[in-house]
Amino acid sequence: MAINLASKKILVVDDQAIMRETFKHILGSFGARFIVEAESGISAITAMRIDRFDIVLCDYNLLRGKNGQQVLEEAKYLKLLPVHAIFIMVTCEQSQQMVLSAIDNRPDDYLIKPFNPQQLLSRIQRCHDRKQYLADIENEIDNGNLYQAIQCCKQLLQQNDKKMRLPLLKLHAELALKVGDFKTAEAIYQDILEERELPWARLGLGTTAFFLGYYAQAVKTFQALIEQHPVMMEAYDWLVKTYELMGNDDDAVSSLNSAVTLSPLSILRQKKLALLAERTENLPVAKKAYTATIKLGKNSIHRSSSDYSGLANIYLKSNAANEALKILYELNQQFRDDPEAKLRSALLEIEIHQAKGNKTMAQQAYGRAFKLNEQFDKQLSKELRLEMAKTFYLNGNNGICDEILNDLIKTNIDDNLFIKNIVTLCDTIIGKNYAETLLQQIKKELVDINNKGVRLFQEGNIKGALAVFEQAIVKIPDNQTIILNMIKIIIHDIKTSKPDPEKIINAQSYINKAIQVGIPHNQISGLQTELNIIQYKTHP
Amino acid sequence: MFNTPILAISFPAILASSVHDIKNSLTTLRVLIGQLENSHQDPKPNEFKQLEFETNRMNNSLMQLLTLYKIDLSQFNLAIDEHSAADIVEDVVAQQSTLLSLGNIQLITQCDDDLLCYCDNTLISNALCTLVNNAQRYCQSKIRLSVSKEDDYIVFCIEDDGKGYPENLMPSEHQQLPQIDLANGNAGLGLFFTKTIAQLHVKGSKHGFISTDNHSQLGGARFKLYLP
Repeated sequence: MAINLASKKILVVDDQAIMRETFKHILGSFGARFIVEAESGISAITAMRIDRFDIVLCDYNLLRGKNGQQVLEEAKYLKLLPVHAIFIMVTCEQSQQMVLSAIDNRPDDYLIKPFNPQQLLSRIQRCHDRKQYLADIENEIDNGNLYQAIQCCKQLLQQNDKKMRLPLLKLHAELALKVGDFKTAEAIYQDILEERELPWARLGLGTTAFFLGYYAQAVKTFQALIEQHPVMMEAYDWLVKTYELMGNDDDAVSSLNSAVTLSPLSILRQKKLALLAERTENLPVAKKAYTATIKLGKNSIHRSSSDYSGLANIYLKSNAANEALKILYELNQQFRDDPEAKLRSALLEIEIHQAKGNKTMAQQAYGRAFKLNEQFDKQLSKELRLEMAKTFYLNGNNGICDEILNDLIKTNIDDNLFIKNIVTLCDTIIGKNYAETLLQQIKKELVDINNKGVRLFQEGNIKGALAVFEQAIVKIPDNQTIILNMIKIIIHDIKTSKPDPEKIINAQSYINKAIQVGIPHNQISGLQTELNIIQYKTHP
Repeated sequence: MFNTPILAISFPAILASSVHDIKNSLTTLRVLIGQLENSHQDPKPNEFKQLEFETNRMNNSLMQLLTLYKIDLSQFNLAIDEHSAADIVEDVVAQQSTLLSLGNIQLITQCDDDLLCYCDNTLISNALCTLVNNAQRYCQSKIRLSVSKEDDYIVFCIEDDGKGYPENLMPSEHQQLPQIDLANGNAGLGLFFTKTIAQLHVKGSKHGFISTDNHSQLGGARFKLYLP
């Protein structure tokens, strides 16, 4: 159906007045009435805060400030775009697309300059048609209902629209990967590849191998893809991830370095390179990458005070204490009201002044860090809190260190990589077995809570059991066992009492959370099916 | 010896940035032409048609230049996916719409809605645009763009009712493919470009290719692009 532009809110972002005029003229001649102009990335974001746009036409090369990609990232991050919105990136050259592509955010389509009215309209129309067709799936994804989204995919596939078959299969496979149903994803990609060698399907097969733990195979697949498609950035990203999990940090750094050379404008890649290079003690690469991250961060939603403290730390490690202090000064200038930033700065200042032999200054910085931690404690990111624990211990404040570590282990008990970081840190500064004992204690506490809840449930005290798990979730929010038991009890409760739509919503939200925290597919899919049956019975 | 770099920036960067600048200027130029055109009553002066044709041509040449240069540097990715042939035809028609509206040339299209092809759709539609744009110069009043399936290939066919290809753009006895002499100007470059990107489309042992002859249904030149 032809799109009716008269009812659409349209945003046109271009730094050249003549281009904005052209867009307005063309869109107006096709019936558009509500058109807002923005001449820069910042004014585009402001406009999107005021109005919910249906269509955004954004030039990639905005002269000052944010570029088009950064506008898109920020709009997505701040959820300024409705699910049905169409975002079209206007570029000068077709091959820019791939190199530009950031890790997650892609526009719905590209429009290459110069274009005529018919080309613009046909681009909008096609995006509109595709969005309409996929609307049910997109809405379910937006609500976190991934299993329902998969169901929608399957239903649409049965309609046998030849044009949409491959896009639907692609979506189905991506969703299967997200819920952890790797075998289904693998089968879909293999089927497609048997018909035709398509780069995205090959990449998908590689990621499936990655998730299934076949790292050697994944590496081979990604390397072959890069060989054939030298600017396929996603293949680099996955190759780096695989090397990292294999513990092969040096190869990860060198692959990421090649990716960054090809696509130097992606802040997330630069940031990742900085962290990896820092971990492998490759100080020159880390320094370069942190510097680039800071520069890109000036216009990006992904900027962070940790970019500055990271760079300062590299200077400290390279025995350039004064340079490090300069960077921290800039950090404090840039992030005036940000407690995380202040804390990061204070923590490094302690080390820098100690290195310079300036005890009073170090003591002052420690005092500031202490206060900030008291004030913001649990609101801080887990990495920063671990840093805090270390500083407290090194300055003889074992009690607070213990408290933080205890809480960190509890709240991240299923995050293996982070737990490993905690253990490594404790082993080096506090001593062997310290973290182990702490871990055992907390695991026992968890088992006790679970046993208590399950016992109450078995005794028929559903309310009591629910209360136990609800309390546990407040204290230990991301524990897989607690979440799973919670879902089971709610579903049992729904089945054995009179229908209550609120309970169904509650169960669904815990299932969505279960997917988020990475509970395996084979443990969730059965519960989702049960819930679907209940829902079907209440609303056939 | 003579390899010492004099430039601080690499040549690829200079080229990309120049193309970018020229494209921006071209875009502005077209906007201005459009504004001028709007201030004229129908029938519009014939010069507008010529202007539209020339800007199309400049744009196509630039795009070809950059793509061929990148292929030569092995910095080129073909973005292959499954696409509807009808969508590609629609893109070509859209791109040519301004020019068509200014003249009395008719572009006839014929494509099955169900026809799918595996290709880099942007590149293929760019190539077809170039060739249709050229055909507008050589035809009398009609161009036909059609898509069909022949064995394992999807075939895009452009025919016109002009005088047909000169001998040097047609296959010779010794060579199946048309001989492309770049000294011959844009017509040659367009064919060379299309031939180059056709070859990059591969399925198993089959490569894409092009053919030219004068067996057009309309009586003039016939061009065919085969994609596996």
